[in-house]
Amino acid sequence: MDKKITPLSKIFLAVIFFILYAPIFFLVIFSFNSGETMYNFKGFSLEWYRELFQDTRLLIIVLNTIVVAFLSALFSTIIGVLGALAIHQAKKRQTKNTLLSLNNVLIVSPDVIIGASFLILFTMAGLKLGFYSVLLSHIAFSIPIVVLMVLPKLMEMSPTLIDAARDLGASSWNVVTKVIIPFITPGIFAGFFMALTYSLDDFAVTFFVTGNGFSTLSVEIYSLARRGISLNINALSTLLFLFTLLLVVIYYFITQRNKPNGMGVRKR
Amino acid sequence: MNKLVRFFLFIAVVSAVLLYAISSLNSSQGYSGGNTLTVFNWGDYIDPDLIKKFEKETGIKVIYETFDSNEAMMTKIEQGGTNYDIAVPSEYMIDKMRQEDLLIPLDHSKLPNLKHIDKRFMDLQFDPENKYSIPYFWGTVGIVYNPKMLHGKEITSWNDLWDPDLKNEILLTDGAREVIGMGLNSLGYSLNDTNKQHLVEAKEKLDTLTPNIKAIVGDEIKMLLANQEASVGLVWSGDASEIMSENEDLDYVVPKEGSNLWFDNMVIPKTAKNIEAAHKFINFMLDPKVAAKNTDYVGYSTPNKGALKYMPKEVVEDERFYPSPELTEKLEVYENLGKKNLAYYNELFLQFKMHRK
Repeated sequence: MDKKITPLSKIFLAVIFFILYAPIFFLVIFSFNSGETMYNFKGFSLEWYRELFQDTRLLIIVLNTIVVAFLSALFSTIIGVLGALAIHQAKKRQTKNTLLSLNNVLIVSPDVIIGASFLILFTMAGLKLGFYSVLLSHIAFSIPIVVLMVLPKLMEMSPTLIDAARDLGASSWNVVTKVIIPFITPGIFAGFFMALTYSLDDFAVTFFVTGNGFSTLSVEIYSLARRGISLNINALSTLLFLFTLLLVVIYYFITQRNKPNGMGVRKR
Repeated sequence: MNKLVRFFLFIAVVSAVLLYAISSLNSSQGYSGGNTLTVFNWGDYIDPDLIKKFEKETGIKVIYETFDSNEAMMTKIEQGGTNYDIAVPSEYMIDKMRQEDLLIPLDHSKLPNLKHIDKRFMDLQFDPENKYSIPYFWGTVGIVYNPKMLHGKEITSWNDLWDPDLKNEILLTDGAREVIGMGLNSLGYSLNDTNKQHLVEAKEKLDTLTPNIKAIVGDEIKMLLANQEASVGLVWSGDASEIMSENEDLDYVVPKEGSNLWFDNMVIPKTAKNIEAAHKFINFMLDPKVAAKNTDYVGYSTPNKGALKYMPKEVVEDERFYPSPELTEKLEVYENLGKKNLAYYNELFLQFKMHRK
């Protein structure tokens, strides 16, 4: 097959990217609108940004959202890596498949059901809705994703690496920390960032478990729908977009700097 | 491994810093002290300055939380685990919440400002003697239309919608009671009619309207009408005032045959922790000057008679949003018709939706 990129495919790529990014740019442009609506650009102003930074309540909600995302990604990555190791280590094929299917069921089941079941669970357990209920549920729905991101890396790893390490006298702890974890680090990072984005944009589950003055951004924006969404939400979305862009750039540079060599095992 | 550990530690530290920032922001706002009041309201449905004023006057800190639908609000309250002191459901929800025993009776002796509420809006079927609820805002269901696009044609009655000139021009709000109600009203029946024959008649009349209907839509109806995608729309008055503020060509009318009258009401749900403060808050919101300011911000119609004199004359005299007494007579509040009848309304609405042009 011809490997050269034809102009047609370049155009196709450009069109697709345009379609994907156009709504975001549309939103960004209108965040600078001096008018009040999303379809009538009256002139350039930074008024919405000023209003945004004066709104302490909204600021608290944004910080809440970010903290929940960081913490839930952190915990779910740790638990998820352990889970992936356990699934990988399972001797019997059947056990492995069962564990994996149980994991996947959690990913495919609708958020609404997960959210509703958490609500019932938390209220039955007497846990007050708020920061902890949101954090716990985010950790819970992120774990299967981390497992799924880490497992392929584990599968990819040649078992001879572990055998070699053992031959050279490594203890089980050494095998895990010096051989397995370094090898699957890219998977762990991928899992972490997936969990982070899942938590940042989750609406359905969060919707059920917020309460007592604690709210996240997606829930707050949704509740504005009845009265119409003000353009300071555009301003906020623009800032968040830039923030994620920054994250992606940083992540890119980190991976560039530590490009794994061919074997996948780094000397340290 | 080291790199990973360092990264995770970094994230943990960042989170800790952020948590500290949140808690100090919260305490600087006074949210974490003892004397707080949690208000559960629709998004952007109160003037934020009034909350500050209330806090200053009473020393009670207000935690403001929002919901987007009556059903969501009721679920949160029903499930417990929350401590909302005030909620603002619509009138049909109050009936339901009362039956489910989710409301705390109000102590009228703590609400001296109650006298400012228009007697017309008190003691209604959904809450006799206002035992549990106080009206917050009210409105109607009516027609938004664009006189320019209709070449100066005026709409004053439901039956004007059946005009063949309006082919493919009408947008309907997706609500069974609203649409079937329009059919009933146009025939001169009550909105709360449960006579099956009348209902079928209304549905058949609606079927003949289908050539004129462009679409049956949800919340996007506001944007579609403001952008002149269609010239006529069936909407709630609250939406209408928003649409009209975005596009000044549009006009709103409550049809002369009568229409629906709806209320959003303040209640104290069973989850309340600070009932004393809740009463103070309700009484504060009933103050004529406060109500006038709030009405100015929200843009819906206020039930507070005392507030009217603090409001601009052109707003109070606008018969589209403060209908004349004769028209008000013809407005009806939706009654709870029971599960069976509501199911029948829904079934007819579904049949109507499936009717081919």
